[in-house]
Amino acid sequence: MRGLAVAQAELTSFDRQFHARCALQRPDRYRLLDALPVDAPRIARGGGVSYVGASFGDGVVSQSLDAFDRLLAFDAAAGRLTVEAGARIGDLQRFLLGRGWYLPVTPGHPRATVGGCIAADVHGKNPARDGTFRAWVDALVVHRPGEEPRVADRTHDADLFAATFAGFGLTGTISSATLRLARPPHALVLRRVPVASLAEAARVLREAANAPVLYGWHDGGAAHFGRGVVNIGLASSEDDEGAPRVPPASADLPAQVAPLPFPLWNRAGLGAANRWLDWRWRRAGQAPMALAEALFPLNRARLYFAGFGPAGMAEAQWLVPHPRFEAFAAGLAELVTRTRPRIALIASKLFAGVADGFSFDGSGIALAIQVASPGSPGERAFLEALAELAVAHDGRPNLIKDSTLDAGMARRAVSGFDAARARRARHDPHRLHGSELARRLAL
Amino acid sequence: MTAVVVGASSGLGRALAGELARRGQPLLLVASDARDIEAIGADLRIRHDAVVRCLALDLAREADPGARMTAALEALPPVTSVLLAVGLSRGDDDFGLDASRIGELLAINLHAPLAIVHALLPRLRETRGVVVLFSSIAAVRGRGRNVVYAAAKRGIESMYESLRHRHAGAELRVQLYRLGFLATNLTHGMRLPMPAVEPVDVARVVADRLQRGSARWYLPRRFALVAAIVRLLPWGLFRRMRA
Ligand SMILES: Cc1cc2nc3c(=O)[nH]c(=O)nc-3n(C[C@H](O)[C@H](O)[C@H](O)COP(=O)(O)OP(=O)(O)OC[C@H]3O[C@@H](n4cnc5c(N)ncnc54)[C@H](O)[C@@H]3O)c2cc1C
Ligand SMILES: NC(=O)c1ccc[n+]([C@@H]2O[C@H](COP(=O)([O-])OP(=O)(O)OC[C@H]3O[C@@H](n4cnc5c(N)ncnc54)[C@H](OP(=O)(O)O)[C@@H]3O)[C@@H](O)[C@H]2O)c1
Repeated sequence: MRGLAVAQAELTSFDRQFHARCALQRPDRYRLLDALPVDAPRIARGGGVSYVGASFGDGVVSQSLDAFDRLLAFDAAAGRLTVEAGARIGDLQRFLLGRGWYLPVTPGHPRATVGGCIAADVHGKNPARDGTFRAWVDALVVHRPGEEPRVADRTHDADLFAATFAGFGLTGTISSATLRLARPPHALVLRRVPVASLAEAARVLREAANAPVLYGWHDGGAAHFGRGVVNIGLASSEDDEGAPRVPPASADLPAQVAPLPFPLWNRAGLGAANRWLDWRWRRAGQAPMALAEALFPLNRARLYFAGFGPAGMAEAQWLVPHPRFEAFAAGLAELVTRTRPRIALIASKLFAGVADGFSFDGSGIALAIQVASPGSPGERAFLEALAELAVAHDGRPNLIKDSTLDAGMARRAVSGFDAARARRARHDPHRLHGSELARRLAL
Repeated sequence: MTAVVVGASSGLGRALAGELARRGQPLLLVASDARDIEAIGADLRIRHDAVVRCLALDLAREADPGARMTAALEALPPVTSVLLAVGLSRGDDDFGLDASRIGELLAINLHAPLAIVHALLPRLRETRGVVVLFSSIAAVRGRGRNVVYAAAKRGIESMYESLRHRHAGAELRVQLYRLGFLATNLTHGMRLPMPAVEPVDVARVVADRLQRGSARWYLPRRFALVAAIVRLLPWGLFRRMRA
């Protein structure tokens, strides 16, 4: 077909735990989305900023949706945007904030795309208030090999619609979506509440459930485990100075952060960083905060990610129901004291949803634990023990973040795993979609 | 004042459409598939409040593309520029093509630009408009690859000369770009001897020069040197060039 071009490319997951040389297609016209031979295994790729190898894999053509980033319809009165799936979230926020709207649920990486946010059913700055990405999507267009594109929403082709959220690209390639928008807060104030432990953080998070921005940052070192600060971004009544501005695309965190040749985050480096964070941020206070800063705080974290060095990192994220959280946090503190893993950061968030399929949702507290050099024996043992501990406390893992999970653990930890797998199979009976993630977790 | 972008659905043409819409220019976008150009049109209307019309034409098959375009231009302000970013090259264009494939390459790369320029000339002369043509580094010296493509691009260069010969600069301006490698689907997956440039960067330069007079440029400029070397290479060496 005219324009069909496939290259060989080296692709790497953001956490650097998986590399593959694989076929990469960059369709830039609609006919090219459907141009591969119908039986060619494939997977959609958005910004490629997943921690894990979700958008590529051995023997699979990765289809980059880069060129599909156009705005198709914008209803500025009702707050509806129909947009192609390759549009990057940071670019959309720049466009929308200038027009009095925004996407309330956005992940921390501005180069994540609409398709990636749907396929991972991402959460934003306060999932307890805003839900996950699916709550803000009205309709999708999905392309599948050898079929006409399908329009799916909550009433029409509803099973495909539901399965595509946290479907990890395995139900087909989303070409566009209609999103519901929200009015951004005019101004924000950030209230910082220091906490001495994860259990205390959970109580603070629950009390602030309605804040537009709500998350905690915690020390993962054994000496001060769990100590940290809960950031509560509140809408302020103070007059704003015109439309909130988002820095230009050039300020966005890159899709791949080149690692430093040596890891900064060894024990000494982590100790120093935690002491600095403690001194800089762990004090009660309140200050105005730019919305852009609240939406993409990681834009300033290049050095942090580069500091993991060539061995990279892993992010284990577990959502533990409220009644079990304190016991889980205590068990985790004990595990860290015993095994002393190199934890770079722990982030806490409040959830108040209901899990569906493979999605990362439920009611409880989520901890994202970022570990340096996860391939080293000590760290690997810690991550395995963490998974066992979390499962013992009814924890649910975020499958699209954690490259250390295996199929057995995913099946034990995700309630409804087999039903979700059967649903995926209904929508891809010939298994024409695949990725490293799908293979590793036997999705 | 309207700009016509032919080959607007991807690569350089799409970048030109975006750049010109950003500068407030009404547009007629032409490519073969309505889904692509309608999506671009919608995006440019939403982002830049641009006036955009779209015309889906298969230029490999359309006998008289100029007539369809003049009809589509009726609803738009007078045309002042035609940018012919249409093009197609193939990996098997090495004396391995059958007659219909040769015909397709010639239709897209040469016949369509010629026919469109013929049809729009009267309108362009009324506005002292500009025809913008895109040739290629591949046309500098004929090789065993890109056989038909390079021949067609030489034809484009000949059209540039004919237009200038026939029309004084006071009634029509003609600009020709000899392009090096662009990071588009045409080069995706190819091993290139030097890095490809982004189409948006080329589009910005082309749009900046649209008001200038007739001229022929290499873009990026370093390709002028590459072309000179290729031209001067002794035959024995040139024959061994594979890239
Ligand atoms: C620094 C950083 C911060 C992050 N913060 C958060 C956060 O706050 N909350 C959160 O939930 N996640 C977060 N993530 C995870 C990230 O948002 C998700 O992994 C997201 O899917 C990435 O989007 P992407 O466009 O890069 O998708 P890719 O990485 O390219 O792909 C991810 C998955 O989406 C599928 N996909 C992509 N596009 C399409 C499409 N058009 N059609 C069908 N399937 C498609 C792929 O097949 C793949 O399975 C973060 C990641 C990083 C690196
Ligand atoms: N890429 C390079 O490295 C390079 C180098 C030198 C010169 N050039 C020249 O620069 C120009 C732009 O190249 P590019 O890389 O941007 O190419 P591209 O991305 O492949 O775009 C080519 C355009 O031509 C259109 N087109 C092709 N066949 C058509 C047909 N039958 N009917 C209607 N439209 C058709 C395509 O639209 P549809 O497919 O949607 O129909 C598309 O919009 C071309 O003239 C090319 O020869 C390119």
